[in-house]
Amino acid sequence: MVTTGELRRLMRHPGFARLGVVILLVVAWEISARFFLDRDFISPPSTVLTSFGELFGTPGVPSALWLTLYEIAIGFALSAIIGAAIGLAVGLNRLAHQSFMPIILLLYGLPQITILPIFVLVFGIGAASKIAFGVSHGMFPIMIAVAAGVQKIEPVYFDSARSMGASRWHLLRYVIFPHMIPSFFTGLRLGMSGVLLGVLLAELYVSTAGIGYFTSIFTQNFDATKLIGLVSVLAAIAIALNEVVRRVELRYARWRD
Amino acid sequence: MASAQPAIRVNGVSHQFGEPGEARYVQALLDTSLDVTRGELLCLIGPSGCGKSTLLGIMGGLFAPTTGAVAVAGKPVRGPMPRDLAFVFQESALFPWNTVRENVMLGMTFQGVAKAERGARARRALEAVGLIDFAEHYPGQLSGGMRQRAALARALSLETDILLMDEPFGALDEQTRMVLGEDLSVLLSRSNKTIVFVTHSLGEAVFLADRVAVFSARPGTIKQIIVVDEPHPRKPSFMTAPKFHALRDQLYGLLHDEIRKAMSETTQPRRRYGQTGPAETDGERV
Amino acid sequence: MNGDGRKNAPHRLSSRLVQVAFLAIVLLAWFLATTRWGVSRILLPNPVNVWHQLIDIVASGAFIPDLRITLGELAGAFAISMSLGVTIGYLISRSRYLIRVFEPLLAAIYAIPIILFLPLYVLLLGLGPASKIALGATISFFPIVLSTIAGFGYVDRRLVTAARSMGANNIQMFRYVLLPAALPVVLAGLRLGFTVALLSVIASETIASFAGLGHHIVDLAENMDTARMFAYIVFVIAIVAFLNAVVSTIEGRARW
Repeated sequence: MVTTGELRRLMRHPGFARLGVVILLVVAWEISARFFLDRDFISPPSTVLTSFGELFGTPGVPSALWLTLYEIAIGFALSAIIGAAIGLAVGLNRLAHQSFMPIILLLYGLPQITILPIFVLVFGIGAASKIAFGVSHGMFPIMIAVAAGVQKIEPVYFDSARSMGASRWHLLRYVIFPHMIPSFFTGLRLGMSGVLLGVLLAELYVSTAGIGYFTSIFTQNFDATKLIGLVSVLAAIAIALNEVVRRVELRYARWRD
Repeated sequence: MASAQPAIRVNGVSHQFGEPGEARYVQALLDTSLDVTRGELLCLIGPSGCGKSTLLGIMGGLFAPTTGAVAVAGKPVRGPMPRDLAFVFQESALFPWNTVRENVMLGMTFQGVAKAERGARARRALEAVGLIDFAEHYPGQLSGGMRQRAALARALSLETDILLMDEPFGALDEQTRMVLGEDLSVLLSRSNKTIVFVTHSLGEAVFLADRVAVFSARPGTIKQIIVVDEPHPRKPSFMTAPKFHALRDQLYGLLHDEIRKAMSETTQPRRRYGQTGPAETDGERV
Repeated sequence: MNGDGRKNAPHRLSSRLVQVAFLAIVLLAWFLATTRWGVSRILLPNPVNVWHQLIDIVASGAFIPDLRITLGELAGAFAISMSLGVTIGYLISRSRYLIRVFEPLLAAIYAIPIILFLPLYVLLLGLGPASKIALGATISFFPIVLSTIAGFGYVDRRLVTAARSMGANNIQMFRYVLLPAALPVVLAGLRLGFTVALLSVIASETIASFAGLGHHIVDLAENMDTARMFAYIVFVIAIVAFLNAVVSTIEGRARW
C-alpha cells in the first residue's frame, strides 16, 4: 500500500522527474514522427518496438549481432590480458616506467580512427579486424590504470612490510598486487568503453559485412524502422555491458571499508 | 647503565637526503649518538623536520645512515631486523585490503612463523589490545584509535623485545591519545619491552617516557635528555601532579627556540624515510 | 621494483636512451620488413616511400580541399555543441534539483558509444557535411554540458557565503565568484569537447562520406595506395595534434 505521503515523496524524487523527462522525449519523438516528419527518414518508437520481430527475422541480422557480441567479448578479454601484462611490466620497473609510459600515453592519445583502414587492410573484413581495433582502443586504459595502481603505493606500506621482514616476493604478493586490484577494475571499466567504441567503429566502417552491411542497406532502402531498431539494439548492448563492468567495478574498485 | 648492553646503540649517525647543491638536499641528522636502555620507554621529541623519524627508521634498518652505525642488541644493523624489533607507524600503515586479523597474521607470514602458531599469536595480540571482537573488520571500518590498537597488535604479535613507534597517536584526537597512552604504559609495565617513541606532544612525552631525548632544529641532533622518574603504569593523576608540569615546562623551554628556528626555514623534507617512489608533495595547491 | 630515489637523474638519461633505441628498433624493423623479410608492400609500405609521399602531400597542397571540409564541419559541430552545452549546462546548474534530475541522465547517455547515431544521421541528413556536423555536435555536447554543470553547480558554498556576507549582488556574485570558480572546469570541458568533435568528424568521414580528411584516407586504402595512405595518416595525426595543442594553449591562457 502506498500512502499519499509516500507518493508525494516519490514524486519529489529527482528520479521521478528524470523518468518524466525521458517519457516526454519519447512521446515528442512519437508525435513528431507520426504526424509531422517523413516516414522514410524517421520512424516513431511504437513502430520500431513492434517491428523488432521483423528486424530479427531479417536474414543475417541475428548472426551479425551475435558476431558483434563475440568480437566485443574476445576484444575485452584480450585487452584485459595485454593491458594487465604490459601495465605490470611497465609499472614495476622504474626505468621501464620512465621510458615507456610517455610512449604509451602518446599512443593512447593518437587519433586511432585514422588507422582503421590499415586494420581492415591487414586483418580483412571479418571478425579479426574488429577485434584488433577493439583491443587497440581497450588495452591502453587498462595498461595505464594497472601501471598507476602498482606505482602510487604509500611508502609506509613498504616500510611496514619490510620492517616485518617481507621479501621482494612478499611485497609483490601482499602489497603491490592487492593495491593494484581496484585500479585494475577501474581500468576494465574504461577498457570496456574503449572496446565497444573500437568494435562498433570497425563494424560501421566495413559496409560489406556484419552490422555495417545492414546499416548501409537499411539506409539505402530508407528503412528507418529497421535502422533505428538495429541501432537501439546495439545501444542496449553497449549500455548493458557498460553497466555490468560498472557494477563489477563498484564491487571491487576499493578496498573494503 | 654502563654495565648492561644497551638495547639499541646509535653511534655518530648523520643522514642527508640528496646531495649538496641539489634542490632536494636536506641534512636531516647530524652526528647523533644515543643508547637506548633495555626495558625503558624513550621518547624522541623535536620540531618538524628535525630528523627524529629519520633516526627511528635508521634504528630499525629501514635505510642506512649516510655515516655512523647502529647496533641492536649488540648486532650491527644492516637492514630490517624483524626478529629484534617491530614498528608501529602512523595511522596509514595497516593494509586497507586486509582484515585486522589478516593484517596481524601477515607480519608473521613475512617472518615465516609456522601456520599453526600464527592464529594463536594473533589472538593473543588482539586480546592484549582489546580488539578481538573486531578481528574480521577492515581498517576502514574502524575508528582511528582502533586502527592504532590493531597496528600495535600487529607489532606485539611479532614478539620482539623492541618496539619502534613513529608518532603512533599523531593522527588521533587528544582524548583517544590519552587513553591509548595509559594503555601503553600498562603494557610496558607488564611486558618489559623496550620502546622508542617519536612524538610531537610534550604532554605525551612526559606522560609516557622514562627518558625524553630533545632534538634541535634541522640538522637535528640530540640537545638534551630529560629523565622522568615515575614508575609505570602511570595513572591519569600523574598528569595533574606538579612534577608533570615542571617537566613539561622544562621541555617547552628547551623546544621553544628550536621550533621557531624550524619554522623560519623554508624547505621541508620531501620524504620522511628516504623512501622510493615519486616525491610526495605535501599540502594542497590552490 | 623500487629503485633508489637518489638515482633519479641518471635514470632520466637512460630512459631517454631506451626511448630512442625503441624508436630506432621500430623504424629498423619496419625498414627490414619491407626490404628483407618480404612483407607485402600493399600491407606495409617502405618507410622511405612513405616519407617521399608525405613531402609530396605537404608540398603539393592537395590536402587543402579536404582539410577545408573537415575544419568547416568541425567549426559547425563545435559552435553548436559549445553554445548549446554551455547554455543548457548553466541553466541546469542554477538549481540543485535540476542538477539531480539531468546530470545522471546526461552522464548515462554519454556512456553510450554515440557513434551509433551516425547511420541515423546519414539517413536523415545525407552523406554530406550535415551528418558529420550533427554527429560531432552530439558527441561533444556531453562533455561540455557536464563540465559546465560541474563548474557552475559545485562552487564552494563557503565562497558564495563569504561574498554574500560582504554584500555582493547577483552580477557581482557571477563576475567575482561563480565565473572564476567555474571557468577552469568549463574550459577543460570545452577542450575535451573540441577534441572529441574533431575525432568524431574524422570518424564519420571515414565511415560514410564523399570528402574530408577521414574520407581521403579511406580512398587511398581502397585504391591500395598504401604508401600514400600511411603518409596521409601521419599528416592527419599531425594536424589533429596541432589543433589540440592550439586549443590546450588557448585553455591555458584563458585560465589565468
